[in-house]
Amino acid sequence: MSQQAVIQIRDLKKSFDGVPVLQGIHLDIFPKEVVCIIGSSGSGKTTLLRCLNLLNEPDSGSILFENNELMDRNTDIDALRMKMGMVFQSFNLFNNKNVIDNCTLAPIHLLQMSKTEAQARAIEKLDQVGMKDFAYSKVSSLSGGQRQRVAIARALCMNPTVMLFDEPTSALDPEMVGEVLTVMRDLAKNGMTMVVVTHEMSFAKDVANRVIFMDGGVILEQGTPNQIFKHPKEKRTQEFLKRIIEQI
Amino acid sequence: MNLFLEGIPQNFFGGAWYIFSQYFPLFIQGVGVTLLLAVTGTIFGFLLSLIFASLKIQTVDSRDSSPRKVLKLAGKYFSSIYITFFRGTPMIVQAMIFYYLFYSWGIRWSPLVAGLFVVTVNTTAYIAEVIRGGIGAIDKGQMEAARSLGFNRRKAMRLIILPQAIKNSIPAIGNEFIVNIKDTAVLSVIGVIDLYNATRAASSVFYRFTEGFFVAALIYLFLTFTSSKILAYIEKRLEGNKIKPRTPKTNEVTL
Repeated sequence: MSQQAVIQIRDLKKSFDGVPVLQGIHLDIFPKEVVCIIGSSGSGKTTLLRCLNLLNEPDSGSILFENNELMDRNTDIDALRMKMGMVFQSFNLFNNKNVIDNCTLAPIHLLQMSKTEAQARAIEKLDQVGMKDFAYSKVSSLSGGQRQRVAIARALCMNPTVMLFDEPTSALDPEMVGEVLTVMRDLAKNGMTMVVVTHEMSFAKDVANRVIFMDGGVILEQGTPNQIFKHPKEKRTQEFLKRIIEQI
Repeated sequence: MNLFLEGIPQNFFGGAWYIFSQYFPLFIQGVGVTLLLAVTGTIFGFLLSLIFASLKIQTVDSRDSSPRKVLKLAGKYFSSIYITFFRGTPMIVQAMIFYYLFYSWGIRWSPLVAGLFVVTVNTTAYIAEVIRGGIGAIDKGQMEAARSLGFNRRKAMRLIILPQAIKNSIPAIGNEFIVNIKDTAVLSVIGVIDLYNATRAASSVFYRFTEGFFVAALIYLFLTFTSSKILAYIEKRLEGNKIKPRTPKTNEVTL
C-alpha cells in the first residue's frame, strides 16, 4: 500500500517481570484497514493491542501514531488516546453513570463540548449501535451484549481515527456475540480503521483486510484472510487453526 | 451533710431519674457537645481524608518529571506517617499532646475547639484508610477505560473512581460516626463538657456515679442506636437507587 500508515510499529518489545511477551513487533496499520490479530492465549496479542495506546508501556521500540512518537516521554499521550477508541473484553462501562452519561463524559470533559451537543452526539452513536432506546438506562440493567455495544458507542463519541478491540466478544454469552459483531461489521463497512484481537475466526474471515497470527511474542504470519485461513504457510499457524476448527 | 443529698431517692432508678431531671439542661448540653464533636469530626474528617487518601495512592509514573516524582513520594510518605500515627495512638493521648502543644505556642484555645480539632485529625486518618480501601476495591478496568478515552489519572480519579469508592465507603464512614459518638468521651480529659463530663459533674453533686453514668449509658445508647437506624435507612436508599433501573425518557434529548 502506498498510503501513509496510521500506526507504525517498529521493533516493539515488552516483558512482564522478566518474561518476554513481545519480542520485536513490526506492524503498519493503514487507514480504513481492519486488522484482526489471532493467536493462542499467551501469544502476546492483547499486550500488543494494549501497547498501542500505552495502557501497557512497552520496554523499547517505536510506535508512531499519526506521526507522533508514543514512546517519546514528551508526547501528550492523553491527547492521542482521545483519537484511539478502545473496547475491552469486560466492557468497563462506568458503573456510576447511566448509558448516556457514559457516552457524554469524555466529550464534555475532554473535548469541551456543551452538554446538549455531547448528548446529541451520544444519541447518534447509540442509535448506530442500536442502543438509543436504552440511553437513560442504568448500566446494571443491561445484558453483556448491550453493555458492549454501549462501550463501542462511548468510544465512538470521541470520533476516534482508530478503534482498538480487545477480545470484545470473549466475555459474552454465545447468543450475544452476534449483535456485537454486527455492530463491528457496520463500523468496518463505514471505513473505520480497526485493530481487533479476536477468537472469532468467522469475523476475521469475513471482515478483516488482513489477519495477523501471533505466536511467542512475534508476528509469525500475516496476510489476507484467504491466505491465512486457506493456505497458512507456518506450521504453528496450521496447528492453531486446526485446533480452533476442531473446537467447532 | 451535703444539702443536695437530702432530696435524692435512695433506690437506683429513682436516683438515676432524680439526677437526670435535676440536671436535664446539663445533660442536653452534653449531648449537644458530643453530637457536635461526632458530626464535625466525621464531616471534616471525611473531607480531609480525601486529600490524604489521594496522596497515599499516588503512583510514580515513568513519564513524571523528577520534581514531580519527589513531590508525589513526599506526599505519599507524609500521608502514610500521618495515618500510622493517628491510628496507632489513643485519641486521649493525641488530645493531651495537641491541647498543651498549642498552649505552649501561645494559642489559648478553648477545650471545645481543641476537641473538635483532635477528633477531626483522628477521624481523618481512619476514613482515609476506608477511602483508600474503597478505591482499591474498584475494578481496575474503570481506570483503564477512563485512561483509554484520554482522561488523565487525576480526572479519572475525580470523575469515575472516587464517586464509586465514596459510595461504597458510606457504611464504613457511618460506622466511624457512631464510633465517634462514643469515643469522643475521652476528650473530657482536656475539659470538653461533652456528655461524659456533664454526667460526671451532675453525678458528683450527689456522689451517685453509678446512677449518673447509667443515665449517660442510656443516652449514648439512644444516640448510637438512632444514628445506626438513620444510616441504615440512607444506605438502603442508595442501594435501592443502584438496583432500580430508570425508565427511559425518550423526550429528554431533543435532536
